[in-house]
Amino acid sequence: MKQFISFVIKEAKHILRDKRTMLILFGMPLVLMLIFGFAITTDVKNVRTVVVTSSMDHLTRQAVDRLAASEYFTITQAVGTPREAERVIRGQKADMAVVFGPDFASKRAGVQFIVDGADPNMAQQWTNYATAVITNAEGGAVNTKMLYNPQLKSAYNFVPAIMGMLLMLVCAMMTSISIVREKEKGTMEVLLVSPVKPLMIIIAKAIPYLVLAVAILIIILLMARFVLGVPLVGSLFWIVAISVIYILLALSLGLLISNVARTQLVALLLSAMVLLVPIVMLSGMIFPVESMPQVLQWISAIVPPRYYIEAMRKLMIMGVGIKEVAREVLILVGMVAVLMTLALAKFNKRLE
Amino acid sequence: MNAIEVNNVTKSYGAVRALDGVSFTVGKGEVFGLIGPDGAGKTSMYRIMCTLLLPESGTVTVDGFDAVRQMTDIRRRVGYMPGKFSLYEDLTVEENLRFFADLFGTTVEEGYDSVRAIYSQIERFKDRRAGALSGGMKQKLALSCALVHSPSVLFLDEPTTGVDPVSRKEFWDMLGTLKQRGITIVASTPYLDEVRRCERVAFLDQGKIRGIGAPEEILERFADIFNPPGIDHVQGGEVKDENVIEVEHLVKAFGSFHAVDDISFTVKRGEIFGFLGANGAGKTTAMHMLTGLNQPTSGTGRVVGYDIRTEHEQIKKHIGYMSQRFSLYEDLTVAENIRLFGGIYGMEEQEIARKTDELLERLQFADHKNTLVASLPLGWKQKLAFSVSIFHEPGVVFLDEPTGGVDPATRRQFWELIYDAASRGITVFVTTHYMDEAEYCDRISIMVDGKISAMGTPDELKKKFNQPDMDHVFTYLARQATRSSD
Repeated sequence: MKQFISFVIKEAKHILRDKRTMLILFGMPLVLMLIFGFAITTDVKNVRTVVVTSSMDHLTRQAVDRLAASEYFTITQAVGTPREAERVIRGQKADMAVVFGPDFASKRAGVQFIVDGADPNMAQQWTNYATAVITNAEGGAVNTKMLYNPQLKSAYNFVPAIMGMLLMLVCAMMTSISIVREKEKGTMEVLLVSPVKPLMIIIAKAIPYLVLAVAILIIILLMARFVLGVPLVGSLFWIVAISVIYILLALSLGLLISNVARTQLVALLLSAMVLLVPIVMLSGMIFPVESMPQVLQWISAIVPPRYYIEAMRKLMIMGVGIKEVAREVLILVGMVAVLMTLALAKFNKRLE
Repeated sequence: MNAIEVNNVTKSYGAVRALDGVSFTVGKGEVFGLIGPDGAGKTSMYRIMCTLLLPESGTVTVDGFDAVRQMTDIRRRVGYMPGKFSLYEDLTVEENLRFFADLFGTTVEEGYDSVRAIYSQIERFKDRRAGALSGGMKQKLALSCALVHSPSVLFLDEPTTGVDPVSRKEFWDMLGTLKQRGITIVASTPYLDEVRRCERVAFLDQGKIRGIGAPEEILERFADIFNPPGIDHVQGGEVKDENVIEVEHLVKAFGSFHAVDDISFTVKRGEIFGFLGANGAGKTTAMHMLTGLNQPTSGTGRVVGYDIRTEHEQIKKHIGYMSQRFSLYEDLTVAENIRLFGGIYGMEEQEIARKTDELLERLQFADHKNTLVASLPLGWKQKLAFSVSIFHEPGVVFLDEPTGGVDPATRRQFWELIYDAASRGITVFVTTHYMDEAEYCDRISIMVDGKISAMGTPDELKKKFNQPDMDHVFTYLARQATRSSD
């Protein structure tokens, strides 16, 4: 036991004395949260809009006013023909145009949107919003109610995703690098030629990173709640418990990488490329899993953060009970069991 | 009972046979030398004895335990110092020692008796980080860490490479005290004086044991490798009366610490100038100032006619530099390395091609033009690195411990290249820890505590200090150092 504690302390000193790494480890969550929370936003706001009207009757006037009054759209110009509107959009002076047909007032139909489709997701959202604003004029035929996120804030969506990404990166990357560094420096040889059990070396290495990951988790949760105003409606206990399962999973992945990698550079690239790309692309963090091609959906089924992010969204934002996320939790636990066994079994007690 | 029995051990890496039917025994309490050139298979042998590697065939027992089946028992009994420095550089001296004590289930207090002789010498630096220690002190700390649990067998894989002669002597004196306590020691070394301090040595070459016996017997039998005839160095003629390096009252201070403390000397064209000093005497700092990597705090200096304070860009163009740490790019071929460095110094493509062929022809190395540097033996890498460093015909070449870790025969070949360069008018400025190499120099200076405490030809110095050889001169002077060796 004394060996174990001494080992953990040594590992903690390595981390604490490396000031730059510490700065990155704690700076990264802060910066990412702020960027995703404030800068990168998929919220519809101040879309520069051109209106095209051939006859300015009462109803058309009303519709235009409503567009202008909403915080989503800013009317920048009014022109006479769709062709002119297109020219304005191509000239980067506007994002979309709303064309009212001459018989808009009589038939209550005949509206055309011309949209800058460079970002298809945003373009889709603008047209949805514009439709809602214009049709609402008809006396509220359609009434949309957004559950869980009435203001459609993107932070609600991103916070669980950032948690999934950061915890994976910190744990997998840092553990694999710290083990490979010992291999590179030759200290691993000395550790192995000592009575200490290899299993203990590994567990002792993982513990400080586990603590570090929990600290980062707490930072993220505090920022989410108090800076970004994301409600943590679900049980805090389960949020932390599931996160710890996920951290263990990331640590096992880091261990697996350290078995393969011979240099710190390889370990870094493996954890950054092999882990980060699938996490960002395939976990449902940015692109919804449901709209992926079938093959990618199958691949995404084995990407662990997918289940973690899903579970966190349900727990934090929707505030469901643990029963509703049982499936995700079970899958995560299963993955931890498999990966951990694999990593420990594969750890070399000797050199190659 | 023998402490170690190695029986017909074989180990291959792919097609390369690292160990080929190796057998030897080491008696209890014996100091056994495992010597041989770089790449002979020494490290593989250590790793097999330490249970880090599995032999393909053959058996190894350490203290009566089988290295394959009784791994845990062996790991509890041995101390191991790998060739690479193996401490945690970001932990302090004391933290390192405490950690290794805990690792072996003991405490520093309990194990203090076993390490006192060594550790007491570095104890006053116990709060300093291991990374900030000098080479000799790092080795002492590593040895303390390997000894803190009182092992019965100690494996030392080239523990003194890059350590100055005085520290090396102290290190081996300590091994002597360990022997008195009945600890079996297996050590390897490229230094002949250390080989002589073993009771028996085994000479390993290309994976095979060529001979086992008393040191003198082995050194005698393989004299062509260990004790090559000295080189006849025809002096005079080439050395012109023109100063290539002139240094006056050079000082480099880090805070109140004067790493280089008022040194003055000159080196003439075509001269081979040996720049000696113990680890931490200030050699590297002085060399950095001469090569324009570092600004002097005060004093003046000119190298190949350029001021070291203001014209370092010009200096860099007209000097060559080779160090033990960086020589060539391992993942480039021989020809690619030459072309790269030729290009860096702005040579014409055609000239590079012509001179490359010329050089490889002269080194009798044309067959390996397209071989990756990584696959060459260390001695060849060093010869190539030296040839590359003078490829652009610099006025002076700086060599920072160019021959670390190779056998005497290879070092001798290396010095033939140096003589060849000097005869073509290239000034050679060299640091080394091998005192036989110091004898090869035209003139040497010995730095102690940041000052030059002696300068002259090897013969002059031997006469002046009344010592039989350079080794004794160096030890005599370096022992007068008052500042700690770091």
